[in-house]
Amino acid sequence: MGKLFNELKEDILYQHGMNACLNCGVCTAVCPAAEFNDYSPREVMNTVQSEDDELIIELLKSDKIWYCGQCFSCKTRCPRGNNTANVILALRRLSIRYGYFTESEKGRQQLFAKRVFGENMLKRGYTLLAENITPAHFPELGENWEYYYEHREEMREWWDVPMDLENSPGSHRVIPEKDMEELRAIYQATGAIELMDSVEKSMEKKLGSKKEVEKYWQTWLETGDSRNYEIKDNK
Amino acid sequence: MKVARENLAWQKHQKHVPTIDEPGGKLWGCFRSCFLQSAAPYTEGIAYKILKNDLGMDLREAPGHTSCGAIGYHGDVSNVETQMVVAARNFSVAHHELGVDNLFSFCVTSFANYTEMIHLWEEEPELREYTAKTLKETTGREFWVPHVSGGRPSVVHASDVFFANRHQLAAKAKYSLKGIKAVDHIGCHYGKIFPGEAMGGVEFPQVLVGLLEAFGAEIVDYPERRHCCGMGFRQCAFPENRDYTASSVYKKMKSLKEAHPDCNLMLTNCPGCTVFLDAEQGTIKEVLEEEFNVSVLDYAQLTGLMLGYDPFKDCGLNAKAVLVEPLLDQIGIPYDKSKTAEERRRPF
Repeated sequence: MGKLFNELKEDILYQHGMNACLNCGVCTAVCPAAEFNDYSPREVMNTVQSEDDELIIELLKSDKIWYCGQCFSCKTRCPRGNNTANVILALRRLSIRYGYFTESEKGRQQLFAKRVFGENMLKRGYTLLAENITPAHFPELGENWEYYYEHREEMREWWDVPMDLENSPGSHRVIPEKDMEELRAIYQATGAIELMDSVEKSMEKKLGSKKEVEKYWQTWLETGDSRNYEIKDNK
Repeated sequence: MKVARENLAWQKHQKHVPTIDEPGGKLWGCFRSCFLQSAAPYTEGIAYKILKNDLGMDLREAPGHTSCGAIGYHGDVSNVETQMVVAARNFSVAHHELGVDNLFSFCVTSFANYTEMIHLWEEEPELREYTAKTLKETTGREFWVPHVSGGRPSVVHASDVFFANRHQLAAKAKYSLKGIKAVDHIGCHYGKIFPGEAMGGVEFPQVLVGLLEAFGAEIVDYPERRHCCGMGFRQCAFPENRDYTASSVYKKMKSLKEAHPDCNLMLTNCPGCTVFLDAEQGTIKEVLEEEFNVSVLDYAQLTGLMLGYDPFKDCGLNAKAVLVEPLLDQIGIPYDKSKTAEERRRPF
């Protein structure tokens, strides 16, 4: 039993997710991510049950843990009440804390998660904002969405869901600063800020400098595909 | 009287949501959704109109309540501890500032997140203690847990509130779905994380089917009915991962059309499903030249149409990939035919 496994075992999400796997494979049979990717919830459950740190590290460095779509179909179907999606959450936190996420293409996308979901929460109190759903990143939303996006303030007034009003109830309002301070204090006290900081630090280490991290981020913003940033071997 | 086994299972999956005719059923605290506000804002608009104008509810929400943060939880920027204290803060604000006891959320991920935190507090007393202590230290607020469904610690989803009041809504309807084939698509985070908290369970949940039936629709079934839409948080948010979303939608739509080629209405209760089940049909049409033409409507949008609200100005059917007019014609809902489809959707 390794140190890393011991840390995993301490996580409440692992404790609630792993009861007793009988290796039946139902989780994989119903898993949408397993259908379209090189991913198997059963394999994840087997690996963590090996309690072997080397195997767990290999998993944390791979794309696999990032394929899970968090639909929890596995939880519904498992005859032993296991919950791979929760175990995946515990593994992802471990991967971020140790910086292993930077070793995989899907893992490195954590920078976007941090800079969108995380920073939105800390700045505005929402994980998603109207301006995030850009037509460039969401072309499938179509031309009517492009029109909406360009006229979003007027359109939302027209639909009775105005945006960016101060000190008002409702959708996309500006949350009062005193409430934002409380939210930031919660994120600080519960370790979320530390988790987010470790993303920036690990990406800097992986790509070589803050400047390269910004290049990686800009590549994604401009092209919507992080694979257009070439990771250099010596970094 | 002895209750048959299948009925025992059915009883286990019922939850009580107070209707407007019961004590406490008219006063609700609500949590808006950051997914809805960003990707389908119109849905909240029509839901509000129905709950306030047609059901006469007093909806209260504090300016200081925040997003539940669960997109960040499933998108890996926060911890379960963070989620617990944020949930506790929102509950505390609703109860102690607004004086409400009953709470619903507009987002199924918020519903699942709040439900998960309440379950954790029930199952792990030290986490409840941690949450109350951290909430007090960080915000000065008092811990409070809602007991919405049948007096047990719980919250409900907005679609549960529509379901509970479906007969009152159907009695006010100007149009009917008689002769229309329809199917539900339940958000995974409504039914799959805590099947016991889904109205009717996860196999045959009643929450949307009940609403469709109340409006007269004929419900159909198909093999991939419970397959996820593939939204996936990291999958829908990052364009390079959206092949997963499109593939999931393709699998579902193909399965539906093989079983019921004449079913063109799918009812949803999740913002992600509402947006992507529709939008990816556009992608599939472009990439594979296959058209499914299934109108994907949110429960509030459909109820709004049935009650006679304007399909575009009120129900917000402006930015759908699938043309909604054929469905409106089928139901018999009028709209301005002197305008082009584009003019109807672009008012400015």
